[in-house]
Amino acid sequence: MRRLVYVVREALTNVRYNRTTTLVAVATTAFTLACLGIFVLLYFNLKGITGSLKGDIKVIIYLQDGLTSQSQADLQHRIKNEREVASLTYVSKEQALADFRKQFPSEQHLLQGLGENPLPVSLVVTLAPEFGSAESVKHWAERMRAIPGVAQVQYSQEWIEYLNQLIRYLELGAVIVGGILSAASVAIIASTIRLALYARRDEIEILRLIGAGRIFIRIPYLLEGAVLGAAGGALSLAMLRAGFEYVSHRAGMPGRLVGVESALSFFPAQMSTLMVFGGLLLGFAGSFVSLIELGRARS
Amino acid sequence: MIQLFHVSKYFDRRPAVSDINLEIGKGEFVLLMGPSGAGKTTLLKLLFCAETPDEGQILVNNRNVARLTASQVPALRRKMGLVFQDFRLLPNRTVAENVALPLMIQGTSAFETRRKVTEALKAVGLEHRKESRPGVLSAGEQQRACIARAIINSPIILLGDEPTGNLDPDLAAEIIELFKTINARGTTVMIATHNREVMQQVSQRVVTLNQGRVASDLGGVG
Repeated sequence: MRRLVYVVREALTNVRYNRTTTLVAVATTAFTLACLGIFVLLYFNLKGITGSLKGDIKVIIYLQDGLTSQSQADLQHRIKNEREVASLTYVSKEQALADFRKQFPSEQHLLQGLGENPLPVSLVVTLAPEFGSAESVKHWAERMRAIPGVAQVQYSQEWIEYLNQLIRYLELGAVIVGGILSAASVAIIASTIRLALYARRDEIEILRLIGAGRIFIRIPYLLEGAVLGAAGGALSLAMLRAGFEYVSHRAGMPGRLVGVESALSFFPAQMSTLMVFGGLLLGFAGSFVSLIELGRARS
Repeated sequence: MIQLFHVSKYFDRRPAVSDINLEIGKGEFVLLMGPSGAGKTTLLKLLFCAETPDEGQILVNNRNVARLTASQVPALRRKMGLVFQDFRLLPNRTVAENVALPLMIQGTSAFETRRKVTEALKAVGLEHRKESRPGVLSAGEQQRACIARAIINSPIILLGDEPTGNLDPDLAAEIIELFKTINARGTTVMIATHNREVMQQVSQRVVTLNQGRVASDLGGVG
């Protein structure tokens, strides 16, 4: 117990005595982890967006102008009975115009001078999740396009495919950048610990001479590295949170993508804990690397 | 207690100590004399495992120290007390904290540590300075603190490398008296020095090294 108190106190003393190098190491580690965090945050959000799009695939079927009410009702009935359809909403020309005015109040001048309402009647179809694969949506949309009276079919699947591809690139990017940045973090913390070891080389020598074992000498430095790494991880998390709030506030991105109700979200609590723990592990690894040299001496 | 058999150590192929044969019994007081570069410090370093011999065997308390692994060395050192010319005290700790370090390493309880620190400081006459930092102590006081740290674990062997080198003759005499007191309690003491006045004061066994070899081994001087 006394030894534990001693090594913890030594680790904290190390941090206090090397305040400048400690701050530099924490800041650099935080920036490094924040860069990695940006990738992970993007990955998480895109994955979430894709997931929500997949769970709520909407297909908009625009009907040709001039169809009678009976023809529109027949088409609506026919499409509603398709087994792929989970729900169907009829949007009249008037409703479409009202929606447009509501969504784009500053763009109303576009409709002025056109006289008659130019917006078509549409059927907004939500597909059942089991038919949400790219191939089946595409196949179903083509079948709908061929129905007489249908002018155009739009769906969000292309976006999903695009996002999926982006996620694959991000995954690859995160692995590569993550690897490089993690190695950089380890190197930075290793240098900091090496400086601490250099500054306290006389003390280490004295401890060795009076019979301190390797573990007793090393643990304070390992703890110091872990503390630096964890502090860097926590700071990077704060930086990411601030950046996230800024971006989502400025860009007003939530809800912009069609079919996505909550577009952006920050890391869940587990992921945040994992980032701090990741920083701690990187710090520990950095200390370990710098202590390898110390271990080579017998005396 | 200490036995050396044909021990040699080379640095850059030049012998620092060469073919040393020596036997030091339990409770002996031995002065290791010789000019600078004679191999005194190297011999002490071999004993406390800061160096490994290139040839020969060294037995300390019946253990062959030449064969100790890095992880076994600390245990041996905890049975020894080491005193250096430059004191080697931690400047950012108080005298009491410096003296307590060997006990801290072993995880001795706080109560026991306080008791032993007081005892060791009393033995070297430094009780009144226990809360001071080494920087404000005189050279003699710093050496006393170093000796207190060396004896706090009741070592079986006390090794001193020029322990009076930084002290004036009066202080040096006081420090040697301390070593004699410690030796009188049964601790084997070995001091490396080039100070001939120390030899006059000790009147014990004197081993003289010259160019890394044992030049003489005398039982005592009058």
